[in-house]
Amino acid sequence: MSYFDVIYFLAFLPGLIIIYNLLPKKIKPFILLLASFAFFFTYSKWLIIFILLSSLSIYLAGLTMQKIDKEKKDAIKDLEIEEKKIIKAKYLNKKKIVLIITALFNIAFLFYFKYLGFFKGIINSLLKIFNINGNLKIIHHLAPIGISFYTLSAISYLIDVYHEKYECENNYFKILLYLIFFPTLVEGPITRYNEVRDTLFTGNKTTYKSFCFGYQRILYGLFKKIVIADRLNIFVKIIFTDYMHFSGPIIFLGAIFYTILLYMEFSGTMDIVIGSAEIFGIIIPENFKQPFFSKNISEFWSRWHITLGLWFKDYIFYPVSLSKGVKKITSKIKELFGPRTSSLFMGAIALFAVWSLNGLWHGAGYQFLFFGYYHFILILLGNIFEPLIVKICHKLKINRENFLYKLIRIIKTCLLIFIGELFFRANSLTSGIEMMKRIITNFTFKGFNHAVLTLGLDIKDYIIITLSLIFILVISILKEKNIEVRESLSKKHIVIRWACYYALILSIIVFGAYGEGYVPVEPIYADF
Amino acid sequence: MEKLIEILEELNPDVDYENCENLVDGRYLDSLTILSLISEIEDNFGVVIPTVEIIPDNFNSAKKIWALITKLEEE
Amino acid sequence: MKNILKSIVFVLILFLLVTLISSLLLPHDSVRKYGIIKTSVYEILGEKEDSIDAVVIGDSLIYSGISPMEIWHNYGITVFDLAKSAELISSSYKNFEMAIKSQHPKLIFFEGNVLYRESKNKPWFYVWEELYKTYFPITKYHNNWKKYLFTNLNDSMNYSKINIYKGFKYITKTKPGKKLDYMKEKDKIEVPKENQEYFQKIYDLCQKNNVRLVLISTPNMKSWNYGKYLGTKDLALKYNLEYIDLNINNPLNIDWKTESRDAGSHLNYKGALKLSQFIGKYLKETNLFTDKREDSNYASWNEAYEIYKEGLK
Repeated sequence: MSYFDVIYFLAFLPGLIIIYNLLPKKIKPFILLLASFAFFFTYSKWLIIFILLSSLSIYLAGLTMQKIDKEKKDAIKDLEIEEKKIIKAKYLNKKKIVLIITALFNIAFLFYFKYLGFFKGIINSLLKIFNINGNLKIIHHLAPIGISFYTLSAISYLIDVYHEKYECENNYFKILLYLIFFPTLVEGPITRYNEVRDTLFTGNKTTYKSFCFGYQRILYGLFKKIVIADRLNIFVKIIFTDYMHFSGPIIFLGAIFYTILLYMEFSGTMDIVIGSAEIFGIIIPENFKQPFFSKNISEFWSRWHITLGLWFKDYIFYPVSLSKGVKKITSKIKELFGPRTSSLFMGAIALFAVWSLNGLWHGAGYQFLFFGYYHFILILLGNIFEPLIVKICHKLKINRENFLYKLIRIIKTCLLIFIGELFFRANSLTSGIEMMKRIITNFTFKGFNHAVLTLGLDIKDYIIITLSLIFILVISILKEKNIEVRESLSKKHIVIRWACYYALILSIIVFGAYGEGYVPVEPIYADF
Repeated sequence: MEKLIEILEELNPDVDYENCENLVDGRYLDSLTILSLISEIEDNFGVVIPTVEIIPDNFNSAKKIWALITKLEEE
Repeated sequence: MKNILKSIVFVLILFLLVTLISSLLLPHDSVRKYGIIKTSVYEILGEKEDSIDAVVIGDSLIYSGISPMEIWHNYGITVFDLAKSAELISSSYKNFEMAIKSQHPKLIFFEGNVLYRESKNKPWFYVWEELYKTYFPITKYHNNWKKYLFTNLNDSMNYSKINIYKGFKYITKTKPGKKLDYMKEKDKIEVPKENQEYFQKIYDLCQKNNVRLVLISTPNMKSWNYGKYLGTKDLALKYNLEYIDLNINNPLNIDWKTESRDAGSHLNYKGALKLSQFIGKYLKETNLFTDKREDSNYASWNEAYEIYKEGLK
């Protein structure tokens, strides 16, 4: 059951809301758990066993690590400082073993379902180079839904408990609900245990306000997906399969449309996810913060798929850059070239690790690795040249807070993002490169108008797309200015309010790109 | 504290560190700058900042960074 | 309590608005006469009265396999598919009874698969589909906004209020069917008793309205077999009807590798071209019908064909 199914938001969710609110507070979280089981089951049936195993493993690991901590405290009670250190190190080692084994256990599943085929392919081509005939069979496994998301959540819990960031959880069902909670199951956001535990397990009643706000948010998400993303999909699909037949500008337009489509699809899903949770009084962290207002690539990644970026930052970037090995190398560089270069170097190593994993996380394929390294290089270059640009601006007396200067930076960032997403969507790395080649070598506007109007979208579709995008833009600008649109709307007169809701609902029904002649976008992130 | 402000100003001179309360959330300190900051702090104050402590809340103002340093020194 | 009341009012107004817009966007000439709900379930009610030459009664085999637009384009004969997924003969009868109110076809094909589907409860998703087709027909015809908005713009496509598919569903997916020996000899399977009773009713209705009834079994390797063929043949003999079987020896030369959408159970568009061609030719050879392609009363069919053609990939 997808979040965009009529059945989800008109049957599953309303039914759940009624049952949920009829039952006593204590049982409420269990109802959510049951609903999540049912939800998972509609996707992956008996593969549910894997999420049960994952949650069980981190639950037990949490308890074990807590026990080790307790033993440690007892052991060092009356010791001298020097002895304390030795004992502490001993217990830390024990904990580390638990951490590593459990983490590997979870990663092994992820690897088995998502990456085995890819790596077998690499081994096969390596064997071929050496003329060895040992073809490994590549079997495509159907992965449990959301495995890429819940595995990261599971690992974050493990590491946080390891660092004693918070107490481990004594109730297995809570851990299970944390991983399997149906709104966040398929496409995230990747939540942290301490972020959601305050609202996830309390069994808050649905209030009139939370119900209205939740459904408003769901409507907004549906609008993004059904009116914009599904409509653009018609054009995008043609461009990315038959790119050989199109000129540069058309292909580039395809890349722009795809980027918009991806944003509308993914952020629209997040609206539904966060809105659904809100109805049950559960607060889920935001995953997008107007990413297309970013002034550079690294800012873009702090506004786009925020929870993934933060995960990589906390569990890869800092641990790698501050690890003993990296520190050792950098201290030498520091002596030779000064602190700026050394920290840049330190960051570069960590960034490389982050973006290799980020690319792979998005999919087992060379185009995804390329996608990762593309951003790695852009971010690195940005950091190397940043001081230089600041200096130049200083000399030329350009005010960096000037609107025009900001706008130019925003446009530059968007252009770079479009190129990145082109590779991301391309069917393979080679077709991505071919498409880029065509954009550069075949840049002619001859026949542009004709092509634009014959690829499945007519003028009226473009009008709808433009109007919808202006609508989204206005809301984004308001949000960027910290104006809560829903709050301010809820203070308006009832006629205005309802008119807005009706307009939104009816425009989805009438202008939505569904039914005969339309193919909806597959949930893009659900495959990761 | 003065030493800390000095380090910060070397990294990014355009910020009023005495009063700024959103160094991280306002993107005055990005993750690479935080790395330089951490290595400077570790060199100058003789503390080791563990990765768990690198959260926006600990780095959002000079005062908070200072509080973190003092806390680590005591440990 | 106040909030619940408010919510109810909200939903009621929403229904009103949806109904209002539906009546604007539905493609049917007869919406006013038969109402939104009826025309959305019985699509044929939307056609101009007495404009349909022949009707095919059946299930998903029919809406996947016979495209009236192809027949129109090649022969100028107007055909309508009276078909729903997993159709039961009881509802086939009901549909036919409804259709005959506004149309007087001269010939009716009855597809054999329906004869053998026994009344079990329909799967929930058909019930669901039916439900929101009945109450929210707009979900099917919403795209007709293009007919009304921004009309001052020149557009290459001509959107109109006509139903362009006439019951057909355009599906290009391909999944090869492998059970090539599905028509090997087998004992006769009788048409279930209850279904025979309904068939009698359909037969009577045809007699009353002076419609020629023809039994047909269209290519289908999953649920058709020799036993059903014999059973249907018996039925045809009993009522003295013509029976066309398109399975034995594969008379249409269906290439099951490329012309099925789901491993042999339904034809895809490529297969539908062959079956439609056969039906068109058959109808022409009955000499019951005139070619209406030049007839200005049927201009909407030509218009529909143009849009239909645009939609083909």
